[in-house]
Amino acid sequence: MVVRPLLARLAKKAPVPVFLIAGIGGDEIADRLRLDERLQVMDSPRPAMVLMIVGRLTSGLNGAALQVHDQMAEPRAVVRWSPSRLDASAAIFPHLVAAEAAAALGRAAVAARDDLLAGRLPSSPPLLPDVDPNPWRGVGPWGQGGAGMTGGVPYGRPLPERAKDRDGLQLDQLLVRVGPFMPALPEGLTLEVKLQGDVIQDVVVGENPFLEEAGSESRQEVSPALVAPADLAPFLAALRVPVAIAELELVRVRHHLRWLGHTLRIHGLTALGRRVLALSARVHLGGAGARGALATADVAELRRSLERNFTLAWVTRGIGRLSADQLAALDGGPVARAAGVERDERLADPAYLALGFEPVTRTRGDALARWRLRLHEAERSLRLAEIAGDGMTTVTGAVEGPTGPLGRGLAPSSRLLPLLPDLLTGLDWGDAVSTLLSLDLDLREAALTTPGSGAVPAWAW
Amino acid sequence: MVAEALSTAGLAIAVVAVLLGGTYIAAVLDVVFTRLTMRIAVRPLAAAALPLRRAAQLALQRRTLTERPDAGTWALAPAVLGALAAVSLAVVPLTGTVIAVKADTGIVVFAAAMALVVVAVYLQGWSPNSPLSLVAAYRFVAEGLSYEIPFAVVLIGTALPARSLALVPIVTSQEHLWNVVRQPLGLPIYLVTVLALGFWGPLSLPEGQDVAGGTSVELSGVPRLLWRVAQLNVLVAVSAMGAAVFLGGWLGPWLPGGVWMALKTLFLLALLVASRQYFARVRTESFVVVAWTILTPLALVDVFMAGIQAMVAAR
Amino acid sequence: MIVDVVFWFLAVLAVFSAWRVFRTDSMVRAAYWLLISFVGVGFIMVMLKAEFLGVILILMMGGEMTIMAVFMVMFMMNPAGLNPMIMVHQNRAAMAAGFGSFGLLSAVGLFARFPASVVPPRAQATAELGTELLGDSMLVFQTAGVTLLAAMIGAVALVSVRGRFGRADEGSDAPEQQPAAAAAAAPGPTVSDATAAAEPAPDVAGEDMPADHAHGDAR
Repeated sequence: MVVRPLLARLAKKAPVPVFLIAGIGGDEIADRLRLDERLQVMDSPRPAMVLMIVGRLTSGLNGAALQVHDQMAEPRAVVRWSPSRLDASAAIFPHLVAAEAAAALGRAAVAARDDLLAGRLPSSPPLLPDVDPNPWRGVGPWGQGGAGMTGGVPYGRPLPERAKDRDGLQLDQLLVRVGPFMPALPEGLTLEVKLQGDVIQDVVVGENPFLEEAGSESRQEVSPALVAPADLAPFLAALRVPVAIAELELVRVRHHLRWLGHTLRIHGLTALGRRVLALSARVHLGGAGARGALATADVAELRRSLERNFTLAWVTRGIGRLSADQLAALDGGPVARAAGVERDERLADPAYLALGFEPVTRTRGDALARWRLRLHEAERSLRLAEIAGDGMTTVTGAVEGPTGPLGRGLAPSSRLLPLLPDLLTGLDWGDAVSTLLSLDLDLREAALTTPGSGAVPAWAW
Repeated sequence: MVAEALSTAGLAIAVVAVLLGGTYIAAVLDVVFTRLTMRIAVRPLAAAALPLRRAAQLALQRRTLTERPDAGTWALAPAVLGALAAVSLAVVPLTGTVIAVKADTGIVVFAAAMALVVVAVYLQGWSPNSPLSLVAAYRFVAEGLSYEIPFAVVLIGTALPARSLALVPIVTSQEHLWNVVRQPLGLPIYLVTVLALGFWGPLSLPEGQDVAGGTSVELSGVPRLLWRVAQLNVLVAVSAMGAAVFLGGWLGPWLPGGVWMALKTLFLLALLVASRQYFARVRTESFVVVAWTILTPLALVDVFMAGIQAMVAAR
Repeated sequence: MIVDVVFWFLAVLAVFSAWRVFRTDSMVRAAYWLLISFVGVGFIMVMLKAEFLGVILILMMGGEMTIMAVFMVMFMMNPAGLNPMIMVHQNRAAMAAGFGSFGLLSAVGLFARFPASVVPPRAQATAELGTELLGDSMLVFQTAGVTLLAAMIGAVALVSVRGRFGRADEGSDAPEQQPAAAAAAAPGPTVSDATAAAEPAPDVAGEDMPADHAHGDAR
């Protein structure tokens, strides 16, 4: 056909539709890929052409990665980069294209797309067997898969249960498993949700896929530097030795801005979210003041413009409040500070107090208060980094991480995960996603201190 | 009769050409506004080519087969949406004399065509047998049923000064004063409700990122392209109608009527497309409450004011 | 000539799609076949110069058929309405009634003597319709209509936000759904507290639902 080469020539300079999977050690690089103009990160695997696996996949993520791969429309290719030698993806994805370095990922994706469209690279074939998940043919009195009037899996679709909704009507209820790679949820979070319409009736939180199975080979490679999210590394170091205050605060700013970029994008403000993500990439850890580095004025301007945005306030007001005992279980952190609990580990550090540090608190305790608080904290942290100079922290053992206090028992995300079923039941889907986003969950951080995980708790390193 | 048939064919082609041309312009505007918000350089040539490049890439992708969908309605949904947009544009007077369908109740035809948009979007969400896509379709039904009354009432308000439901009299009744001035509540309510019609920007509930793309979560390849094109078709059609009934259509000094109509349509189209950059996506519950308890009474106030003005003018 | 062709096409479409309503095995398709039938009838009314009535018919039926489809999917034990199911019951009685009324109405249409006046092409159909229907009471009807609308909106507003088991925007659950841990902390109205204390926590683990829905999962 003469049309195909013409279309292929036109499509060459289009952004490559990719679907991102971030494993262990890949979260920061995944965010940087979102800023690459040659790529367009999609929310669903179907319209994606290239599956980008960044970081190492754990055994808990492999199955889901295979499903995502098979859900992509052809022609498709897989590109990966992993910091670890013990990466099994080459065995799982036989037609993998490996990028030599993280910086070469964008180029590799573009090359993969061009090769796919030109026919030089064959499309990656389906990797899972094409079996009916619910076998139904020939089962039942009429061969329709049902067992009588209301049982079985007629035509392969499991029958919904019936349950009362909040007005007392008996309605159908669908069990949906929303998996580890859904862009609107924190990476790695699996939820089994019973939905009535779009109202959540019941939630069961799945296993944390960033935990390695007992006895797996890659267990020996579990080190805090690799498992923990990139933003947590200096804070974990600060648990043992004094660390430069400027570095801690700048990493906190970067974390908050990355979180804000992601949240804005899920709330529909995609361009604004990308701008915030670009700001987070400008955080220069060599010390504030380098050319092109993020300045307090930039964050102040961002804060002013976002606080003026009345739709953003409207959609986050009143969402996701925690009750008093739930807040007590949190033991501090931005979520508690947004509800008025004035607890901040930095208050116990004389070095911070000497710089004039004051914790930021809000009273509402909803999603609105949380994002405003994090933005305000980011602004304050930048200012602290500017005036701190060479100052070092003087207290070890417990440190205020970007998501909450570290070093005292469970990590903040580990404390939040058990609260999810109570928080999310009864909310409609959009509100549930807003609530989850506002909590700033990180399952990699939770993997550090999951009880019974067998991994050495981070505080003992 | 042959001449009639030819002129009808010519008008039909004109409507489709305006629709597709407007869609392309809307896509380019979206690229430009996105880049401006991201604070990266807007390269005009690249921006103009980008929608075409994306379309070519989509055309080379294969469409998705889900497990036991309703294939007939799934294939039909983008076609229905596009056809409704074409029907809506067909009743809009493009210049003083060029109007594809001279309907006596043109504004009601427009309202009816737009009322069926709910059907198209619901079919698109329900057919693929996918939970997130069905959830998104439900959200749109809630949104869609809520916008209909303010939308229809505000349009009737513009028909009152003209004492006719046909569009040509409605435009000519604005010779002295545009409806946007003498019915100040009209255009804002209209713009909010047509954002819901095109599920764009703050009202993109069926396509939200929180449902991983919603009604288009299972779309890839040509069906995805057609759906996107149909969505922009709707935005173009409603911009043209808004320009006709609120901004005086082809009326204006110095320039020919067609040019004025194009400028006004582009102005409204730019407003609608740009809304995606600044306004967050609303919550279903909040929007439904606002639509029924704030927009509907305001729309009724608007139509009462228009009625009183018409009565006074008749004296 | 064209008029005849169009009329017969629309008439056949209306009857055919009405027949498909009963023969199709999908709930949502049944609702939309009915919509197509109404659209056909609406266009015939437009051809009869009752433009306003025809277009209003299409406008209303669009919303109504969608609501019907949504309600069917909500209540029937049919996963998202996608499984085939027999849409009819009491066939004989229904067919007798249907064919009987069709025969009766057709007889009226064919054998009654309608006035032979031709509608002038310049007729102001909408205005005349309004005057004929409502005459001098137009203002009364408008006021009554607006009052009814306000009453309906008010009733729904009163009931839906403060649902039976608590405020909708605070994530209210029916008493059986409230997890035991949150039962004490949930901000429900006092009416449900007594029932909440009596009901045990729901047994989630007991459900034996096949959870995998390979293409339906969103990853």
